[in-house]
Amino acid sequence: MNCYLYDGTADGLLSSIAWILEEEPDPEQVTLRERMDTLFEEGFTIGTDATLAESLFFRLKQQAPDAAHTLYSFMLAEKEGMETSLLHYVSLAFKHGDKVKGYLTHPAVRDIVNVAKKAGRELHRMKGLLRFEKLQDGAYLAKMAPDYNIIHPLAYHFSRRLRAQHWFLYDVKRRMAARWNNGTLQFGTIEQFTTPALSEDEKKVQALWQVFFKTIAIPDRKNPRLQKSNMPMKYWKYLVEKQGE
Amino acid sequence: MLHLPSLSSFLHYISTMDTLAKLQILSGAARYDASCASSGSKRDGPYGGTGNTSSSGICHSWADDGRCISLLKILLSNDCIYDCAYCVNRSTNPGERASFTAREVIDLTLDFYRRNYIEGLFLSSAVMQSPDYTMECMVRVAEALRTEEQFGGYIHMKIIPGCSSELVRKAGLYADRVSVNIELPSQASLQRLAPQKHKHAILEPMALIGREITTSLVERKASHRAPRFAPAGQSTQMIIGASPENDFQILRLSQGLYKKMNLKRVYYSAYVPVIEDNRLPVLAAPPLLREHRLYQADWLLRFYGFSAEEILSDDAPHLDESFDPKTAWALRHPEFFPVEINRADYATLLRVPGIGVLSAKRIVAARRFSSITPDGLKKIGVVIKRAKYFITCRGRSFEKSDQPPALIRQRLLLGESSEAPMSILPKQLVLPGLFA
Ligand code: SF4
Repeated sequence: MNCYLYDGTADGLLSSIAWILEEEPDPEQVTLRERMDTLFEEGFTIGTDATLAESLFFRLKQQAPDAAHTLYSFMLAEKEGMETSLLHYVSLAFKHGDKVKGYLTHPAVRDIVNVAKKAGRELHRMKGLLRFEKLQDGAYLAKMAPDYNIIHPLAYHFSRRLRAQHWFLYDVKRRMAARWNNGTLQFGTIEQFTTPALSEDEKKVQALWQVFFKTIAIPDRKNPRLQKSNMPMKYWKYLVEKQGE
Repeated sequence: MLHLPSLSSFLHYISTMDTLAKLQILSGAARYDASCASSGSKRDGPYGGTGNTSSSGICHSWADDGRCISLLKILLSNDCIYDCAYCVNRSTNPGERASFTAREVIDLTLDFYRRNYIEGLFLSSAVMQSPDYTMECMVRVAEALRTEEQFGGYIHMKIIPGCSSELVRKAGLYADRVSVNIELPSQASLQRLAPQKHKHAILEPMALIGREITTSLVERKASHRAPRFAPAGQSTQMIIGASPENDFQILRLSQGLYKKMNLKRVYYSAYVPVIEDNRLPVLAAPPLLREHRLYQADWLLRFYGFSAEEILSDDAPHLDESFDPKTAWALRHPEFFPVEINRADYATLLRVPGIGVLSAKRIVAARRFSSITPDGLKKIGVVIKRAKYFITCRGRSFEKSDQPPALIRQRLLLGESSEAPMSILPKQLVLPGLFA
């Protein structure tokens, strides 16, 4: 069984998969791991090639759009130690096209699909749970601390939605930021973050939302358990309606 | 007889009431409406504008009762001239009255939308002055949002029965979804409990909306510039248990609405007594289980290929309390079973208790690669403890075959509880007809 290593980056991962699919007669018999540079590490290191990574993704998108979507969501999860499963999954996806998703009895397919599903679920959730605050200068800022690295697709979603606004997303955990202004989207990191002053009417609007949130619930049908299972407490920190709880 | 609150005493109050106080009254009055759907429409945001809609729908929060909050759900006014027996807003019921100005609703919608609190607006209203007057006020809000503010988010608007067809058309052009509440399942009940509402005033706009939706779809195939008409379709709502109709009558009505009027959804709301009235039944508790069973049966109509006549009949016009309607059907039709998982077609799989739309699709997809084992079936998400009486897997059955239905009935009921307990179902408790 052949053993391959890569440099631990996303590009490295995808380009090694592309390389293996090209060179190995039976990719499903091959393993792939991150190179740790330990003394007795065995395996052949594959170089990183961003264009190869990209072309792999686009070819997959053409042949199996659903599987490409799964691959994309999987990458958001930044999961380590599942490279071999991913390799097998991609190999199967090229072989069977999108029918691969029905192959849930295969362990690699099941593992990859499960992780991708979780990341996808959080992305969908955050599209709803993200909260913007209006700043003094008229721009809007949303802070978040998601489990997965979803800022790119999330920012893309809001670039379709809040086009006329100048806004920022800030991932507190990863110190990553996205900015939308005048039709362009930019990404970067912020090392020293201080929350800017809020606009004058911000607290008033928040109070309106809090009142709406309270009154829209049916009083004699309180169901905190259901509320928490739909909206886990780890997201409450940045929810206007859950302040002080 | 209750006293009519003098209007003038409120007028002063209304004019000085701030948006926050109004919001409390008018969202409180809207909380019992069942429909929270914000899906089914895909609208790209206008350039330079605010908002788009997502075809899968997005929940923005979950209220203390566990229900999804997706839209700013409010009444424009609760100041009603009608006197429907079952409604808190009825003219003879005392209570605080409030009405938003168009500007207030527009600002609330935009302020909330820009902060990502909501997907859009759900606007309903009591009947102020006249149906036309009310509908016109509502349409004005939607029109201003779409044209002046370039708002591209979701809008759901209730149609006030009895308003002009011109206003219905306008509403459909601005809204993603429109709905006319059918309120009660029969003309006779309507006459008794909501005497100011007439059957034709409800069915006419429904039919009109159905026609306009179809026309718009056809025209948009020819040209993408053709205007959209309620792209997320139309829905309706009816109150269950305030009037004597049986489940069979109700299901047949729904079936007709889906087939003839092209409705997207029918919502059922268990009648909750909010005010006393000798025309209304006295119930110990709102018929929540009945509402739940109706939703399940409705699901069978829409996604499982069942007809109302298969689910119920004149001899047995009520849904079974102990079993969901699909299990009840299966128990009445032993000749249909067992179904072989590795061979049965999709439509047949759908008829097996414990197999839903998703798991039926997964079964069809998975057996392309290899035949499915009992273990694989579990992984696919089939509820084995329910399905086991009705299936074979690779020719083998899970249970002794040829058990008499009565025995299966008993075993399904005993211990091997056939479904989640009522309390944890994300149920929609709905107060009837707060909406015109
Ligand atoms: S159901 Fe509608 S029309 Fe009837 S009283 Fe209530 S708000 Fe008014």
